Amino acid sequence: MPLDVIMPALGMAQDTGLIVAWHKHPGEAVAVGDVLFEVETDKATMEVEAQGDGFLTGVAAEAGQEVPVGQVIAQISDSAEAPAPAPAPDAKPDAKPDAIPEGDTIIMPTLGMAQDSGLLVRWLKAPGDAVQADDPLFEVETDKSTVEVAAGQDGFLAATLADEGEDVPVGQIIAIISAEKPANPVTRSAAQGSVAPKVVEKPSQAPPRASVAKPEHPAPIAPGGRILASPKARRLALEQGLDLARLVAAGHAQPFHASDIDTLRAMPVASAQTTAAAPARRLTAEIAQDGFAAFADWAAQEAGISDSDALLAGLAAASLGQGDATINVQAFERDRLFVGDGTQATAQQVPEGQPDLVLRDLRFTAITALCLGPEDQPVLTLTRSGTGYAVTFECAADQMSAPRAIAVLSAFAGRMQQPLRHLL
Amino acid sequence: MREITLSQAVNEALAEEMRRDPTVFIIGEDVAEAGTPFKVLSGLVEEFGTHRVVDTPIAEPGFTGIAVGAAMTGTRPVVDLMFGDFLFLIMDQLCNQAAKTHYMSGGKLNVPLVLRTNLGATRRSAAQHSQSLHALVAHIPGLKVALPSSAYEAKGLMKTAIRDNNPVVIFEDKLMYQEKAPVPEGEFLIPFGVANVLREGHDITLIGTSSMVQVCAKAADILAKDGISAEVIDPRTIVPLDEAALVKSAKKTSRVIVVDEGHQSFGVTSEIASRINEKAFYHLDAPALRMGAMDVPVPFSPALEDITVPTPEGVAEAARKLVRGEMIHAA
Repeated sequence: MPLDVIMPALGMAQDTGLIVAWHKHPGEAVAVGDVLFEVETDKATMEVEAQGDGFLTGVAAEAGQEVPVGQVIAQISDSAEAPAPAPAPDAKPDAKPDAIPEGDTIIMPTLGMAQDSGLLVRWLKAPGDAVQADDPLFEVETDKSTVEVAAGQDGFLAATLADEGEDVPVGQIIAIISAEKPANPVTRSAAQGSVAPKVVEKPSQAPPRASVAKPEHPAPIAPGGRILASPKARRLALEQGLDLARLVAAGHAQPFHASDIDTLRAMPVASAQTTAAAPARRLTAEIAQDGFAAFADWAAQEAGISDSDALLAGLAAASLGQGDATINVQAFERDRLFVGDGTQATAQQVPEGQPDLVLRDLRFTAITALCLGPEDQPVLTLTRSGTGYAVTFECAADQMSAPRAIAVLSAFAGRMQQPLRHLL
Repeated sequence: MREITLSQAVNEALAEEMRRDPTVFIIGEDVAEAGTPFKVLSGLVEEFGTHRVVDTPIAEPGFTGIAVGAAMTGTRPVVDLMFGDFLFLIMDQLCNQAAKTHYMSGGKLNVPLVLRTNLGATRRSAAQHSQSLHALVAHIPGLKVALPSSAYEAKGLMKTAIRDNNPVVIFEDKLMYQEKAPVPEGEFLIPFGVANVLREGHDITLIGTSSMVQVCAKAADILAKDGISAEVIDPRTIVPLDEAALVKSAKKTSRVIVVDEGHQSFGVTSEIASRINEKAFYHLDAPALRMGAMDVPVPFSPALEDITVPTPEGVAEAARKLVRGEMIHAA
């Protein structure tokens, strides 16, 4: 099996190499490591060594010749008797009827930055057709799009050198446009071998026109659909369960800022309307197992925390999930304020403050169900239910959004069921 | 407290460090008898001799390369680059060699080099001697970048830079060399990566670097008359950057303007504003605003040059708009 000797790629952006000299003659015995020939690139002259033992045969390029990288320039065979030599890169077209006619060459264009081949989708002209420079000649599909490539010059399509459906390396000649109407237009596939240019290669100059390319447009944003507000204003509105649309309805100028949230909160008429229009939120959760009593006992014995109000406030503050929160714990003959940061087991009692949430502890009363309606703050009420508890959460619709109310109650119920999890 | 010029403060820092550590030496053009064009180094050659205050030919790549090699082999060179604009001449020595030697040697070599140079426009020095190129250097991992904003800062940061075991580039504002500020007698150091809150406020944060710190402080004075309380912060070093302090202030005031004398695009203002937008987004009541120098070569014409850099009035006007909630860039 003869071993092909190819023009190696020696530089990073090299596409041809100049053979300076052969160091072996055709028919001469070569061994692995023997210097076969010297190549000059734009940077240096290098010696190329034989990659196998045998005899140098089929030398197809002479010293002084510039050869494209990757082209076979010789073979190393088992015997000195040369098989048919590899076709020379500048081999004259043989005199067969389908010899390549003379004319300007059209190459597979580079349409993408990292494209190395293009799929010839279809020819838009038939061999022998007259073409104008800006006539679309063929369609190419790359990994991104399908484009039409124009002929680039006037003349006749004398040869098509690639079949529809073939993937052709970039730069390879795929058509010839001749000045005269060809007597015998040629049709070949690219697989039949690349054609060396007989005339100065002229890539198609006309810019490719995208025809089938379909850039995906993002869905347009509905004009006027979004309220303009600063990130801080949005966050405050969300945290306080306020609806920015009320500011819009009241005719306040956008964009809204943090100061507008104060205005929104202080809109009494709108607030009353909202309360009337949107019903109060009331959610209940059942906790079958009393995890909290055991937790309170454990906290008292192990950590010396005997204030179960502080523990409850800590759980409630964590359930709000907003960092520091002020919790007003109300129980029979007790009314205390705590501040919890959401991470500690207990909350700290404070003398005064504006509560974010009221926690009403009715576990030790006979009350089992209630519906008191919205108050100044959202209210969580704990009542006894079987061996566990019921937790009722009530607030005005504008105090807290429905998803947030659900999240807060779920978080609190989970913490009451398994208070140890809260510590983790 | 005594007041000295920024120039004297740098001179003092260098003299103190050269007395303390015999491996510290100065190298550059016109550093010895001439004491630099800005007379920052006057008197040092008389005390330390020409072997420690080394005059070189006009060959920035050469003397910077010498200093990098000297730093790798046990000395602490202070390279004097006459104008910050000449940074382009020493990019390989600074960015490919000094910045990467510690990394490329697997930590076996250090480059304890200080590059002293300057920035600042409005000195009528035209486009090739007026640039503020610190962002260019800050972009390269392995280089620390200090931007002293007063004589006090210049002395403390210079001493820290000389004692740092890695390359540090210090940019002094060439218009501030003769500006006086209180500087305590005796030794003090200013750590890198610790921002200085010059003035506390609650309506807006003005972050300034180098001479822009004074621009921010003056803008804060103007704003105070309008009843707007501005916080003024000097990061002191942009590498390392005290991001936590900047973000904390942004969250507190919810409005930020970053002022720097480098070109606005792809610069220090962009970087800091971007970090604040990322880390303090939900606390911002307005977009973090950049105010840098115009993206043009610095003009020679005084009338034109003066409008290319941020001014106290310009910063104050932008701050008023942010505080009033005006749309800065219409959507």
